[in-house]
Amino acid sequence: MIRLEGVSKVYPHREEPALKGVNLQIGPGEFVYLTGPSGAGKTTLLRLLYGAELPSKGRVVVGGTDLGRLAPRHLPLLRRRLGLVFQDFRLMPRRSVFENVALSLEVAGTDRRIVERRVEEVLEQVKLSRLAKSPADTLSGGEQQRVALARALAPGPDLILADEPTGNLDPENALAMMRLLVGDYVGGATVLVATHDPTLLSLVRGGRVVHLERGRLEEAS
Amino acid sequence: MKRRGVVGRALRQMGEDLWLQGVAISTLAVALAIMGAYLALCLNLNQAAGRLLTGPTLLVVTDPQVRPEEGRELAAELARLPGVASAAYVDQQEAMIRFRRQLGPQADLLDDLDRNPLPNAVELVLTPDIAAPPELAAHIKNMAGVSDVVTGRPWLQRLERALRAGGELAVALGILLFLAVVLVTSNTVRLAVHVRRRELELMALVGAGGGYMRGPFLVEAVLQGLAAAALASLLLWGLFALLAAPDALPWGLRLGQILAFPPLLPAALGGLAVVSGLMGGFLGVGRSLHPREVL
Repeated sequence: MIRLEGVSKVYPHREEPALKGVNLQIGPGEFVYLTGPSGAGKTTLLRLLYGAELPSKGRVVVGGTDLGRLAPRHLPLLRRRLGLVFQDFRLMPRRSVFENVALSLEVAGTDRRIVERRVEEVLEQVKLSRLAKSPADTLSGGEQQRVALARALAPGPDLILADEPTGNLDPENALAMMRLLVGDYVGGATVLVATHDPTLLSLVRGGRVVHLERGRLEEAS
Repeated sequence: MKRRGVVGRALRQMGEDLWLQGVAISTLAVALAIMGAYLALCLNLNQAAGRLLTGPTLLVVTDPQVRPEEGRELAAELARLPGVASAAYVDQQEAMIRFRRQLGPQADLLDDLDRNPLPNAVELVLTPDIAAPPELAAHIKNMAGVSDVVTGRPWLQRLERALRAGGELAVALGILLFLAVVLVTSNTVRLAVHVRRRELELMALVGAGGGYMRGPFLVEAVLQGLAAAALASLLLWGLFALLAAPDALPWGLRLGQILAFPPLLPAALGGLAVVSGLMGGFLGVGRSLHPREVL
């Protein structure tokens, strides 16, 4: 599902490369933790995977697509196969929960009835059906992150990329969030969770752990 | 739950920021009002020129003693001359009616005349291939019953040349003004894109294509343009009405005698607003949205 070959990323005006010769292969359906301290390059690696950045060197292949060769106009097609979850939720604050979740289906031109049915399904999964009409900015942090997850799950993605998904949540909500990222909820999708918090690893056991340290990748288990 | 099409999404995003709409529409309205005033001036000048250029090219003034039936016989005789396409006897009353028609809105200026100063005359339309109009005029001047011959052709030709050159300049200036309107539209769209940057980046992250993101901005630009065109038309109409009032202008001038509000101006401004909205929208969004530029 994911293949990185000798990937380096250098930002202008920054001495140290963000990533240095990273090689990584993640198969379909795998659950992988990407750990490392702040500034280790986790977010950069995720940005490369959803096409917000291009590598300075090496190849990034997602779902068989070499992102270095992907024309910008085809980037939306790739992103529709991904589910993205961020630490800061990235919701449309004045829009309802339903509208936020429906967005990931509407952008792909999905039929209205299918959108309604699917949004109801995923809101049921994340236990937010009762808040469907509420504006997103009236929800608690935990609820907002569940809305973000529902938005990521709605199109039935092949790959879920979560960047510090529990960073703004209390332990209870963090556990609830991590439980939603495994098993039947994600429909067999590959999941890559970036976190700097080692306690998170105990919440979902059995996941593969890869560790980034100052831009270099090491397999932890 | 309600799902919206591109027009619905455009209306919604317009409703979410009324202050921005106010700024965009009023800025565009000023730009379109300037364009509209220029169009109104050009249309009025064009109409005035058209009235002047459609007159006869040779005027044969008859002696005051020549009676109308003799004038008509003279016209028939003149029509037979080589180089004359047609000849028509016009008495002074008819000449005044035609003159009033030619003056159009300015005809009121003739109301103050004590008497009709126009003479009885024969209007000649010359054939386009005539070699020497001055010789023809000299020949006619020696005919019985003719008091004078007025050759309008040289100054009409000069006027025609001047109008043609002025027309080209007017078109160039019109294009410049239109481009300025497109630029204003493009900048208002860029402002709208900037205000909604986070939302757009979020859309890009979940896989929105260019059309999905661009569509509402194009619709918004067109709707803003139409609203601005209506406002600009209203503004110009009000201005024309205000300046047409007695004592609105110095020296006893009245705007209605010089310029008239073209009835098709609102439609022309609306059309311009739609075209500039689409062009400005494409430019404004195109320069601001790029799928790789996300948070």
